[in-house]
Amino acid sequence: MSADVAGQASALTVLTPIAPGREIELRMYLESLRTRPSPLKQLRRTHFGRFVVVPDLVAEGERGPDHLTSPQLLFTACLDGDLDSYLDELCDALAPEAQEIWGRCEGCPEPAQGAALKAYLADHRIRTGFFVAAYPGATVSEVTDAVDQRERLIAFAQDAQDMDPKTLQREFHRRFGN
Amino acid sequence: MAIAQDPSARPLTATGTDARNVDGQAICITVFSAVRWWGRAVLPAVFFIARRRRGDTTNLAKLAFIHFARWSLIRRLPGQTLRHPLLFFESNFNGGWEEYIDAFSRILTTGMKWFWGSSYGFPKPLPTGPFKDYIRRHELVASHFHCAYPQATTKIVLSALELDRELRAFRGRTRDMAPDAFAAEWKAFLGRVERSL
Repeated sequence: MSADVAGQASALTVLTPIAPGREIELRMYLESLRTRPSPLKQLRRTHFGRFVVVPDLVAEGERGPDHLTSPQLLFTACLDGDLDSYLDELCDALAPEAQEIWGRCEGCPEPAQGAALKAYLADHRIRTGFFVAAYPGATVSEVTDAVDQRERLIAFAQDAQDMDPKTLQREFHRRFGN
Repeated sequence: MAIAQDPSARPLTATGTDARNVDGQAICITVFSAVRWWGRAVLPAVFFIARRRRGDTTNLAKLAFIHFARWSLIRRLPGQTLRHPLLFFESNFNGGWEEYIDAFSRILTTGMKWFWGSSYGFPKPLPTGPFKDYIRRHELVASHFHCAYPQATTKIVLSALELDRELRAFRGRTRDMAPDAFAAEWKAFLGRVERSL
């Protein structure tokens, strides 16, 4: 099994160099996403996703420490299924945001969308060494449905405390199906 | 029977980190560290062994607050050859940042030596104080972090999935039952799933 995979889940890691002079505006754009629903919500296979600006590397006493020749943009996602079709969805559904994000990176195609963007992101993908998931078999929709169902069941268990058997059975089937 | 409180009233547990690293109950950690020359050979072997032992979840089960985590070895960047390769680590978890590092250090002590032992400046997992300082020096703040189910902790997700399995079985078992038998089975069901509620 690929190191990018745990159960049905995959790990995507992409590092792209930010174009000279565009680091601050990119950071401001990404931070502004907090004020509205995350664009990653449109990618319904995304459990977790993040954008991180890497301005430089931190030295720890090594001889000849490395410094980035340009700041990098890190994008990672924990997602359902395979990376290839996820990148297709990302390059399609996220086209307006992709222009704002990777459009500020060196070498990104213009416009930042479709097959050209997919190829760019795939070229800058970092392979995973070890990926671990607490619930590797569960998709995003399975998790959200199960969490919602648990909350409904807790509410029902409280409501049902004084129900007679007939009402209990009828109400259970009404709320949770047969 | 003890039933959890209304989830909308659940206190947020994500503490000890920048607000940009938080989405609901979830926290992200992003860390890069420079690796010594011998890490180029050792880390791929560590990853290989970790993947082979992934089924042994004894210690990870104790770290029941981690949703997903990953490690990568980065040898080169676009247009730049690195003198020292980089170890990239990210985690998506819930709870407090301090408690996370404490638990990570105490439970995965040996594993952490394997993963970070080749990184420059790594101070050993224990005591946790120097290790926390090390992570803080190397951690990056996310500009944007997204969780698809921000109000659910790992424990809630695992409980909900377990509950779903139990509920499917309960539905199948009770489909044609008379009301009195259904009520008795419901009571037994609640007793069985109490830990998941």
